[in-house]
Amino acid sequence: MANVSVAAEWQLLYNRYYRKPEIYPMQWKHIDLSRNKVAGAPFGGPIAVIRDDSKIVQLYAESALRKLRIFNSAGVQISETVWKHPGGRLVGMAWTDDQTLICVVQDGTVFRYNVHAELQEPNISMGKECFEQNVVECVFWGNGMVCITEANQIFCISDFKNPNPCKLADPNLDEYPLCVAVIEPQYTMSGNVEVLLAVDDLVLLVEEDGVQQLGAGIGPLQKMVVSRNGKLLASFTHDGRLLVISTDFSKIIFEYSCESALPPDQLSWCGMDSVLLYWDDMLLMVGPYGDPVRYLYDEPIILIPECDGVRILSNTSMEFLQRVPDSTVSIFKIGSTLPAALLYDALDHFDRRSAKADENLRLIRSSLPEAVEACIDAAGHEFDVSRQRTLLRAASYGQAFCSHVQRDRFQVMCKTLRVLNAVHNSEIGIPLSIQQYKLLTAPVLIGRLINMHQHLLALRISEYLGMNQEVVIMHWACSKITASLAIPDATLLEILLDKLRLCKGISFAAVAAHADKNGRRKLAAMLVEHESRSSKQVPLLLSIGEEDTALTKATESGDTDLVYLVLFHIWQKRPALEYFGMIQARPLARDLFITYARCYKHEFLKDFFLSTGQLQDVAFLLWKESWELGKNPMASKGSPLHGPRIKIIEKAQSLFSETKEHTFESKAAEEHAKLIRIQHELEVTTKQAIFVDSSISDTIRTCIVLGNHRAAMKVKTEFKVSEKRWYWLKVFALATIRDWDALEKFSKEKRPPIGYRPFVEACIDADEKGEALKYIPKLTDPRERAESYARIGMAKEAADAASQAKDGELLGRLKLTFAQNAAASSIFDTLRDRLGVA
Amino acid sequence: MAQIPNLDNAPFNLTSLRDQSQKELLNILKNIRGRKCLVIDPKLGGSLSLIIQTSLLKEHGVELRYLSADPIQTECTKVVYLVRPQLNLMKFICSHIRNDISKGLQREYFVYFVPRRAVACEKILEEDNFHHLLTIGEYPLYILPVDEDVLSFELDLAYKECQVDGDTSSLWHIAKAIHKLEFSFGLIPNVRAKGKASVRVADILNRMQAEEPVNTSDMGMPEINTLILIDREVDMITPMCTQLTYEGLLDEFLHVNNGSVELDASIMGVQQQEGKKIKVPLNSSDKLFKEIRDLNFEVVVQVLRQKATSMKQDYTEMTTTTQTVSELKDFVKKLNSLPEITRHINLAQHLSAFTSKPSFLGRLDMEHTIVEAQSYDICFEYIEEMIHKQEPLVNVLRLLILFSITNSGLPKRNFDYLRRELLHSYGFEHMATLNNLEKAGLLKKQETKSNWLTIKRALQLVVEDTDTTNPNDIAYVFSGYAPLSIRLVQQAVRSGWRPIEEILKLLPGPHSETKRSGFASSQSIDNLAGAPASIDKVTDGRRSLVLVVFIGGVTFAEISALRFLSAQEGMAYDLIVGTTKIVGGHSLTETFIESLG
Repeated sequence: MANVSVAAEWQLLYNRYYRKPEIYPMQWKHIDLSRNKVAGAPFGGPIAVIRDDSKIVQLYAESALRKLRIFNSAGVQISETVWKHPGGRLVGMAWTDDQTLICVVQDGTVFRYNVHAELQEPNISMGKECFEQNVVECVFWGNGMVCITEANQIFCISDFKNPNPCKLADPNLDEYPLCVAVIEPQYTMSGNVEVLLAVDDLVLLVEEDGVQQLGAGIGPLQKMVVSRNGKLLASFTHDGRLLVISTDFSKIIFEYSCESALPPDQLSWCGMDSVLLYWDDMLLMVGPYGDPVRYLYDEPIILIPECDGVRILSNTSMEFLQRVPDSTVSIFKIGSTLPAALLYDALDHFDRRSAKADENLRLIRSSLPEAVEACIDAAGHEFDVSRQRTLLRAASYGQAFCSHVQRDRFQVMCKTLRVLNAVHNSEIGIPLSIQQYKLLTAPVLIGRLINMHQHLLALRISEYLGMNQEVVIMHWACSKITASLAIPDATLLEILLDKLRLCKGISFAAVAAHADKNGRRKLAAMLVEHESRSSKQVPLLLSIGEEDTALTKATESGDTDLVYLVLFHIWQKRPALEYFGMIQARPLARDLFITYARCYKHEFLKDFFLSTGQLQDVAFLLWKESWELGKNPMASKGSPLHGPRIKIIEKAQSLFSETKEHTFESKAAEEHAKLIRIQHELEVTTKQAIFVDSSISDTIRTCIVLGNHRAAMKVKTEFKVSEKRWYWLKVFALATIRDWDALEKFSKEKRPPIGYRPFVEACIDADEKGEALKYIPKLTDPRERAESYARIGMAKEAADAASQAKDGELLGRLKLTFAQNAAASSIFDTLRDRLGVA
Repeated sequence: MAQIPNLDNAPFNLTSLRDQSQKELLNILKNIRGRKCLVIDPKLGGSLSLIIQTSLLKEHGVELRYLSADPIQTECTKVVYLVRPQLNLMKFICSHIRNDISKGLQREYFVYFVPRRAVACEKILEEDNFHHLLTIGEYPLYILPVDEDVLSFELDLAYKECQVDGDTSSLWHIAKAIHKLEFSFGLIPNVRAKGKASVRVADILNRMQAEEPVNTSDMGMPEINTLILIDREVDMITPMCTQLTYEGLLDEFLHVNNGSVELDASIMGVQQQEGKKIKVPLNSSDKLFKEIRDLNFEVVVQVLRQKATSMKQDYTEMTTTTQTVSELKDFVKKLNSLPEITRHINLAQHLSAFTSKPSFLGRLDMEHTIVEAQSYDICFEYIEEMIHKQEPLVNVLRLLILFSITNSGLPKRNFDYLRRELLHSYGFEHMATLNNLEKAGLLKKQETKSNWLTIKRALQLVVEDTDTTNPNDIAYVFSGYAPLSIRLVQQAVRSGWRPIEEILKLLPGPHSETKRSGFASSQSIDNLAGAPASIDKVTDGRRSLVLVVFIGGVTFAEISALRFLSAQEGMAYDLIVGTTKIVGGHSLTETFIESLG
């Protein structure tokens, strides 16, 4: 049977199968792991290699200078750089979660590289103590690191995104610890990193603020490693035992005595189920039960732990050691009669046109869905494309015979496998297993691809998975700008636009900002031109110094807030006169500036108007100030002459008179100054502070009310008040004080220029019918007479006057007024009839 | 009865719009834990009262205050300001904080700008060095449904700011508000604009669509078919005339504010302490009001009398003859409407006291004379006399503006003379008011010949023999004058701008007509002109909508005229109104009054 060959490669550890397929033959040449320090990143990440300066090695035809080389998992070189940092030996090297290579040298300096072997400035120093004490050892986790100095002090960077070195509590050791391990912050109670130090026959747990003793009497430990979930600790004792303990040292999970008391070179967890020990040429896999599995290697290897197994890197190959997934076991285990195995077998029969296919199917009819499910699942765990295909075909074959199966599972798996196979390609060299991929997530994978400058693949994958491509295109554009120093701006712009247009709504402003950071201001200006969102465009234009364009764009957008943004920016940067010139030519900017300045920057606004020759506006500002001076009690009451006020108004007046168009304003200001003077005099003579800031008409009225007719007359002549207005004012004023005799006298002075209507109105408003009757007959217009009679309720007289006016409409209206009065009403009806109005 | 109107009968889903605004406000309050003092911009108070009940605010631990220059008296350690981004309001906030600091009070301050933050305002807070003490946020209230068919952007100073200060912030705001509507109701395919501000809004709207497109594919047919933008500048005649509809008159005399009027309790026949004011809500949730709000006031009196009489008759029948149970039930049902009838009879009676005055009739006469533009001298003398009698400045200015516009300015001699008389009568501080009016072109020197007569004739603005009881034209709202703005809308809805292009050129500002893409497949777009009603029906049988936006404000009379148009037979659309604010001649003129003092 075909299945046999598959399972033949498996090893059994107690009741579990393990397999160790080769995923790549290494493409690198002349790399001997034993001569080098090597750091492999999890999740199929890159491998950094540098000649180990702690070992004495023979140099072949190579430079004495060391090179840091970065390869992908298939051994294809991504980048290299010459290592010439000072600071002593390279003590530790590892990758962080976001694939930055961390290199720590003896004096505590930390160098960071990206996958392109470009040094990421600035370098981090672990501090003065580290510098003086020398770093001996580093232990890394996800995004952090601790290092131990010769003086047995521990320093920590808990997150490289925000690298602040801190010192942990002093463990007070006389000797260097036997071995070190860390529990990641995410698995500790305190949320801070915990460092385990093996000292004598116990373990010290060191935190930022204290040291605890754990596991006393457990025996001197030569090697320790913490499991991925931070719960278990695998350790190797001085007497050759492998000890798996919970990290709180409360329980020994299991123990295994090795043949050698020599501590292994490498100790590693393989998933969560077993522990790997590596000596010189032997790799031993120990599980809680049963005999361990032995693998022999005739070349050095490096173990790179993953979440679901261990990658084994040797000079020539990359293998992946993992527990065989249950679905795979159910299909390929020798002699398996589980439904999945039968389904797989059925496909084989079907392909060979054997009727046994049908027989198999009938056997598993009821459990067909789970068989299909198992085949799909198993396909996902295969690296080999042809085997993936066979398993999927089996699933598809089974699916055809059952109705209750989730068909989208199949599609999703195909999609996932396409993505995985694409990144498995040795040129890309990311050997992600499906479990790792799910843990890593697609966006992170895409992020890693673009960091490796695999933009095209990243774009295809994000398109294929229906994700937003903006991230990829943006990164591409920025990388392109960085990498294309030699390409002229116009050409580069075309190249960029070509791609940027692929993605609707992409932020041109962000790309432009990058171009500006790379010293390509002109390109930035060209790019930002294409940004459609003014709210992004304008700030950027300002930051690249394109203030004129920024102002134009802000104005065009209609968003006054953006205009203000530009205004304030320029205001700070430019000298006042230049600023004035700039905004004077732009109506919206100018008006907004004036609105703002009117509220808060009066003096500055005056300067502006003066510089632009708008003298009348300065005059208005001054005039306004004169009132503020008037309202300010210190100014008005303190100085009885209103001198400062009048002075300002006169200044305004002279400014108005500079231009011919403002004669009216000039005249008004002049009168205003004069009025205040007169009012002031009146206040002095009458000893009543009731004149200032009232109008000319009110001043006249007040004078008359006070009985000061001479003063009223004086104001009248000073301001050439017309007879018409004079009559209205005087009549109303006299009516206010109900001086009816004076009113009558006034009416007889001469024939009033506007007739007797003011007299009538004043009397009626004061409800003095008798007084009103003195003037009503003198009204010349019969209609006015009629209405006036009507208003004081004299229906007959009203009717007579109305009939004299021959106005039917008026009669009708009067009738309505007298609606309640039946007698009056009939008068109007007769009259209307007589006039012949319907 | 709640002042918050019931929006269930709105032609489109305004409730969701309002709920959204309410939710956003509550979220802001929820995110500030514990008790807090909410200090609101007095201008926003009215808007908020249309969104949320005060009791609901109290449930969220809110102590309510109005923003003024006086320091805040409260026990709360958290102070939340809710303000429009107006420069002068920042002074108050700064002085409050200064006051607290001087007293050694430690408080947390939150400033929420409505509808969005403004660089200029933050600059002021920054310059006073209070910026670090404040948490700044936004409350994006761009649109406020004030009734079933009326949306307000609550920009009461928009017209003055645009015309006098050249500050066009409101135009961006309007475009943003409309764009926000589009996100809920679909891209509006037809846009017709008249006037400078309108064309600018249409332009900004298109920019916004380019920057942040409304996704057209997943929304189906747009609910709003056409957007008509009318700049108040085009028609300043209408708001200056006295409105003669019921709601319009209420506004003229009692000043309707955010859907309610405030008056003495005694007028409403409520037995309460002397001088106590009560608020009377006025919106379509009141069925009787919905029926009579748009009628000419003359007719309203008749309708109310009829209702009262029939009620009395029913009552008499009820006491004399034996009734069946169902008749009793009908009667009781009718009785339920009694409070509404009483309310409006009280209001109408109160209004009649004003409308029967000879001075009021004289004023109406004068308005008509000015609009007729026949007897220049009579009008001039009338206004001159008003100034001499020192009648309230706003009343004088309304007529003066009307007079100036219809004559396209006053001859220089008259112009200077009247201005001088104004300054003499009301004080020199009103130089600023005159300057504002001149900048806005509302009171100016005559430079060209007036074309008002041509416009009036071509658009039939003065209609003889208006029957106010059974009107057949919008002219009924002003008893004979058809509002120019609504005539334009009538044209725009019926046939677009093309047939009246010559007339449009005589009115201020440019005009534009655009079709916006995204609906190439939809058939109804191309036949807006005279389309039979059936085609434009949205699938569920509702008529599609035309949104008429007035930039610079709209009067109740104009809204009534639009409702009249909407109710006409053969009208294919429901008309809804958007406006910067509901204004009247009074409130609009007041925005220009600025004494230097």
